[in-house]
Amino acid sequence: MTQPGLLVLLAANFTLPQLAPWSLAPLAMGVVFALLLAVLGRVPLRYNVRNLQVRWTTTGLTAVAFVIVLGLLTMMLAFVNGMYKLTEQSGQPGNVLVLSEGSTDESFSNLGFSDVGDIELQPGVSRNEENRPLCSRETYVVVNQPVQVREPGRPNGRFTQVRGVDDPVISGDVHGLELLPGGRWVGQAGVQKLADEQEAIEAVVGEGIARELGRDRLPEARAKAKNPERIDVGETFPLGGRTWVVVGVIRSSGSTFDSEIWAKRDIVGKMFGKQGYSTLVLRTESPAAAQTLKDFLNKDYEKASVQAYVETEYFASLSETNKTFLYAIVVVTAIMSLGGIFGVMNTMFAAVSQRSRDIAVLRILGYSRLHVLASFLLESLVLAILGGTLGCLIGGLMIHGRQAASIVSSGQGGGGKFVVLEMLVSGDIVAVCLAIALVMGILGGLIPSILAMLIRPLESLR
Amino acid sequence: MKLLGLMLKNIRRNWIASILASAATIMLVLMVTLVWSVLSFLDQVTAEKSKDLKAIITERWQIPSQMPYSYAATLTEGAARTDDDIRPIDSMTWSFYGGTTDIKNRTLDNTLFAFAMEPQKLRTMMDDLDSLPPDQAAELDAAIAKMDENRLGTIVGLDRLEALGKRVGDRIKLFGINYRGIDLELEIVGTFPRGRYDKSAVIHRDYLNAAVDAWPREHNGEEHPLAQKSLNLVWIKVPDSDAFQKVADQISSSPYYSSPAVKCETASSGIGSFLDAYRDLIWGMRYLLAPACLATVAVVMSIAIGIGVRKRQMELAVMKVLGFRPRQILIMVLGESLLLGTAAGLISSWATWYLVNNLLGGIPFPIAFFPSFMIDDGALWWGPAVGGGAALLGSVWPAWSACRVKVSEVFSKVT
Repeated sequence: MTQPGLLVLLAANFTLPQLAPWSLAPLAMGVVFALLLAVLGRVPLRYNVRNLQVRWTTTGLTAVAFVIVLGLLTMMLAFVNGMYKLTEQSGQPGNVLVLSEGSTDESFSNLGFSDVGDIELQPGVSRNEENRPLCSRETYVVVNQPVQVREPGRPNGRFTQVRGVDDPVISGDVHGLELLPGGRWVGQAGVQKLADEQEAIEAVVGEGIARELGRDRLPEARAKAKNPERIDVGETFPLGGRTWVVVGVIRSSGSTFDSEIWAKRDIVGKMFGKQGYSTLVLRTESPAAAQTLKDFLNKDYEKASVQAYVETEYFASLSETNKTFLYAIVVVTAIMSLGGIFGVMNTMFAAVSQRSRDIAVLRILGYSRLHVLASFLLESLVLAILGGTLGCLIGGLMIHGRQAASIVSSGQGGGGKFVVLEMLVSGDIVAVCLAIALVMGILGGLIPSILAMLIRPLESLR
Repeated sequence: MKLLGLMLKNIRRNWIASILASAATIMLVLMVTLVWSVLSFLDQVTAEKSKDLKAIITERWQIPSQMPYSYAATLTEGAARTDDDIRPIDSMTWSFYGGTTDIKNRTLDNTLFAFAMEPQKLRTMMDDLDSLPPDQAAELDAAIAKMDENRLGTIVGLDRLEALGKRVGDRIKLFGINYRGIDLELEIVGTFPRGRYDKSAVIHRDYLNAAVDAWPREHNGEEHPLAQKSLNLVWIKVPDSDAFQKVADQISSSPYYSSPAVKCETASSGIGSFLDAYRDLIWGMRYLLAPACLATVAVVMSIAIGIGVRKRQMELAVMKVLGFRPRQILIMVLGESLLLGTAAGLISSWATWYLVNNLLGGIPFPIAFFPSFMIDDGALWWGPAVGGGAALLGSVWPAWSACRVKVSEVFSKVT
């Protein structure tokens, strides 16, 4: 591949993360600290640079160890950050989500027909121009969908989330979702005749699940498709023994809705044996009004026993899996960082023992013990800054903006949602990774530097 | 032997480098051991067996699967209708009951999710419980016997028991979460052996069924909303894959299961579908995390051995003068690295195996429906192998430069 070709490929595949300037604070602190050591140390910087150059293989390998550890950490944190962003961005602060009492997840909720009709008429629920309550009546089911084109090592089915809604336009409004150009919401009938006279269920799909369904297409269908990446308007897919036709694709909002298929509720309910409603989402005027309505439904509403949540709170409660992964990453980071620290320590101890005569000469020339300490610590720090920055950069470029499948849930027995998320490298991640690199560099270099400081000149030269 | 002695002497002589390289290797092999144990377990549960395989029967389209309990009698027989039809060797039914001890302030700690099932099936159908060591088996059998005598009995995992703040012998009242209005008085009659079922609980299926049946008597003849949805899963055990295929055909062709329709799949296939949601995470663990740890071991070992070789240039030159061949020097340096890596890997994996399996009760990494993972017994050999292998790989280049040391060049620098 030619050089320009490679650049085009890189530009196409890598999305640069947007970083706040403060996220580079640890890097700046590290550089300032290194400069401080260089100034206070008084040992000529050229001496350190020369030493790093002379021992270039050891220097390079130590930096490689930093790159691997920090690159990996960046990737893992980007995955969890994507999960957190997904749960944070799902839901509207002015919406109230109503489930049947005791349900922690939409999958387990069963609301009565009569209850739904009454709840949407409660004060506080906003109305549209036609004076209809802004209430999304929904039946949420998780469906076992056989996969048409099975990739090696993958199971022959997946769990697909289907949301049946009574009025897709109102539901779209309530959830603040938009369709990509060329699409429309599901019609009142919810079905349409295809060119071959076969009846198909109309569906609107999220961009995430559209990609998954796009991969399921038979090779010949994929070759002919106008969008090879994802299934698009007009294309069909099988689900629940029926053919479904895509009439719209929901613009990605970084929410769990990106991973859902929407269709008419009466069709979905009958097909999958869930005749009642699972969820009611009510739009209110403001987050404060949503809180008031939630409190009213939970404490004072007596016609039915329901469990109301401000929608953002509900999705925030689905972050138990995120926490599990985050704890795991903390453990992985701690273990790998310790390994890295031992590696740096080894390099620096070797540097000290190889240069004991140099140190003795420096001391005889008048450099104090602190100057020697600063000089060696500086080397370790430079290695950490170089390796850490490169690790963050490589990890970030490899992972940022890429998509991954995962699950978000509220913990044991709480159900969960199968999601396609975007892995995101944020300023926090860069800051954490660089800070860890600095800590590794300082801890790894400190003891050997102290040892260097304590070297007795005459004994070393003898 | 002479070379081995030299290797050991060199390791001992450079003790700081040896200790630090070993410490780094111990940490990184620990990471690999944890990751591979999780992956190995997941591979095992998703690997198709050819004999004594378990199959799961669930609602065909929807999860959570909710079937009428009337399906249980025939599904546990593999939907066999004639004498020629295949019948499973064993079977069990699962209904999920979730309850809390404090309905007003429900937390994860005061919540208990239990399988409602036949207690006897715990020892014949539940993974791992069918192959317990004799002392644990006897203890569990005693608890099962108590559940058989007393329908109110429950067996609870050790972690759940601790979270609930209860002990064996205590009584608890659970307020139904999914079975709204069905509250159960339970007596804790035993615990599961430490491991896979630490966060689980089992209640007697007859007790839950009786409570569901009693509901209409107290509610003007109206059925409980879950009355026709109280069978969540049916497990069957069949002798081989041919028998499985026949039973699956019997079930799919049976006219009994139309609303809702059901599907029969091997346990490994069913679990594989659940794990598909974690596929990218698992991919990352398999192809990024573990290889990165191994690469870091190799790099750290390369640094350590490389430093040692540079320090011993003169010594290596003298060895050549004394008649050591380059091949012998190469083997000596590689051997040092191999010894260090293998020893560090052995210490790391054996210690991890002991600590995690015997003291911690597993790696607490709840994914899918597995609350924790035990360290695979294979770690006892793969730990040393991984440590040794990565160290060997890392020392190839330093060993190569050691065996190429030129005597004339080294001595020309001597002043």
